[in-house]
Amino acid sequence: MIELLLQTGLNALFAAAYLSLVAVGLVLIFGVMGVINFAHGELFMLGAYVVVALYTNLQMPFFLVVAIGLIFVGLVGIVMEMTMFHPLRDNPLGGLVASIGFLMVIQALIILGFGVRMEHVPPVTQDVIVISEKVRLPVQRLFVILSALVCLSALWLFLKRTKFGWALRASAQDPEAAMLQGISTRTVSIIALFIGAALAGVAGSVAAPVISISPVIGHSVIVSAFIVIIVGGIGSLEGAVLASATYAFIHTVITTFVDGVIADIVGLSLMLMVLIIKPTGMFGTQDRV
Amino acid sequence: MKNFSSQTKREFLKRMAATISAGMVMGLPKITLAAGETIKIGFLAPLTGPVAAWGKPGLDGCQIWAERINAAGGIQINGESHPVEFIGYDNEYDPTKARAGASKLVIEDGVKFVMMLGGDTWPGAQPVADRTGMLFSTLLPSDLGPDTSTLIAPAEVHPIYNVTGVQWLAENYPDLKSAVICAQDDALGIPSVATYLAAFEAAGIANEDPILFDAATTDFAPIVSRMISLNTDIICLDTCYTEFVHPLVEQLFQQGYDGTVISCTADFYQQMIEKTSVEFMEGFIFQFPDFDDPALEQDFINFEDPGGFFAEYNNRHPGEWGAVSWEYASIMDLWKWAAEKANSIEPGDVLASMLESGKGEHAFGTADWWGSDLFGIDQALVGNWPVVAINDGKARIQEYKWIPGWYEEHGEILKKYFTEYNIMWDQR
Repeated sequence: MIELLLQTGLNALFAAAYLSLVAVGLVLIFGVMGVINFAHGELFMLGAYVVVALYTNLQMPFFLVVAIGLIFVGLVGIVMEMTMFHPLRDNPLGGLVASIGFLMVIQALIILGFGVRMEHVPPVTQDVIVISEKVRLPVQRLFVILSALVCLSALWLFLKRTKFGWALRASAQDPEAAMLQGISTRTVSIIALFIGAALAGVAGSVAAPVISISPVIGHSVIVSAFIVIIVGGIGSLEGAVLASATYAFIHTVITTFVDGVIADIVGLSLMLMVLIIKPTGMFGTQDRV
Repeated sequence: MKNFSSQTKREFLKRMAATISAGMVMGLPKITLAAGETIKIGFLAPLTGPVAAWGKPGLDGCQIWAERINAAGGIQINGESHPVEFIGYDNEYDPTKARAGASKLVIEDGVKFVMMLGGDTWPGAQPVADRTGMLFSTLLPSDLGPDTSTLIAPAEVHPIYNVTGVQWLAENYPDLKSAVICAQDDALGIPSVATYLAAFEAAGIANEDPILFDAATTDFAPIVSRMISLNTDIICLDTCYTEFVHPLVEQLFQQGYDGTVISCTADFYQQMIEKTSVEFMEGFIFQFPDFDDPALEQDFINFEDPGGFFAEYNNRHPGEWGAVSWEYASIMDLWKWAAEKANSIEPGDVLASMLESGKGEHAFGTADWWGSDLFGIDQALVGNWPVVAINDGKARIQEYKWIPGWYEEHGEILKKYFTEYNIMWDQR
């Protein structure tokens, strides 16, 4: 039983890692732009397909491909800002509706380019860290955990220690006051979209060898991410990380010891409870952060 | 009064539409085929989306089948040769789209037979079948019922054939005494769970409670951890979608499982070997052979040149051979045989011709039209089914098993589990 608990803890750590990357990116975009990006799951999917195209098909080095995935998907985020979110900034639902259309376009383009079938990504390594006979951490999953740690730490340093980070936080808290201080909210928006999208992209890229990749994988990811950001508090980066860990741990434990379907129900119930008891979420406030 | 009037009007319009469309197919005199006129066959299955792996490869196989038949002179009706053409419609495994597709294929395109994957999409197409009398086929006989008189399940009796893998396992490895099944909780997974439970019980293998998961699951590590912790001799992957079988197998490998694995399908198993190892996949049992298997060269096999078909398929679609690549083509073999015997392509005539003797020429040998016990109608073609195992990185048929023989002996156990899961035809 102890071995199963330990293995479950490692499984939860992996789930929390990639989920927090996606959720933090989603929160960042909402915080700065005030837009719920429905296409965020597709950015995760795009990151995975960068690996299919460059690592599987062209056999480029995996970590170079992950870096390319990060930059490429970040640039897609900038395109979204320029073509959808900025032009529709005065329309409260415009960005959301446009992002739904965008996700369909992305899916269709991927189907045209890669087909509908599940894609195969060869393993980067088959090494496994054997802690005991029944407690094992595959190194590929460790890569995902480490990537989340590195990216989220880098984001934290960026937000807290750089001028751009301060500008980004200021714009998120009060755009008008930020503009009066000479901060270009447009530039901040572009940076936020790049970072938010890049985080989803890197999550998809680094997780690609351990998940099933198809044009529709974004759906499952975005549902979990929405639960997480509602529980954590829409607009709270700390809340997104903590809620990712909480949700991943609860979901993994229930899946392991009870049932996967019950785990989904509990996850949704958790979201409902938060909405009823504390609608702003664990770390959310009345205003956007 | 107003409501009554509007409802009457709506009813009237509905009936008119139904009458007109039915008349287009049934009420008009049977149209005699002109010499050389192309026979159109509908292919209504998921060609995109998560279930596309059980649709698109089938259409690809049908295209090869059509080219081979057309090159050999086409279908012979009343002494005339007719080429055959497939018209595909992507239902995305969505009942609403299946209904729209069925209407288009039958009414606009004038097809004479519609092949489907079935499952969740059959309820969408069924009203069109009922209204027009069109002959439909499904890969999932659980779609059959007493009221599906124009639906046949002539290729596979999913999930009943899964009993053959367990039967073979028990005969060849009598030391295996316990099993756990995992499956997605849906219309495809649950009937298969009931069947595997029955098969294990019939073989004297103890069942742990099945582990069900949501079809939106992306990380299978927790499910595999739980299965391994149960310390069973066998882990059964049920009829999981290909997108699930691969990560489940990879997790079994990474978490150090060293027991026996059985699964309904192992599509693209070479990729699984690449993600695990040849040694790990040794002895992996499933139900769908590669068609270059020497065991398919036997006299009782009713599939023309399986090796050539397999080679051509892989030439056109490298690495895409899967469970359904040959199945829809084999249905067409049966349809062609029945149409030529009836000298007609009219749905009713072909169906009557198929069912006439109570036996049909299935790809794996002559089989019985069967099913009233489980499905309420004898329109599933049941006979031999192969048990396939991976040896040295290659799937090979181990043995053919006769499904009606198993059912005769253990049918009550199967009915018990079908009843427990509320999937008997009279419970649906």
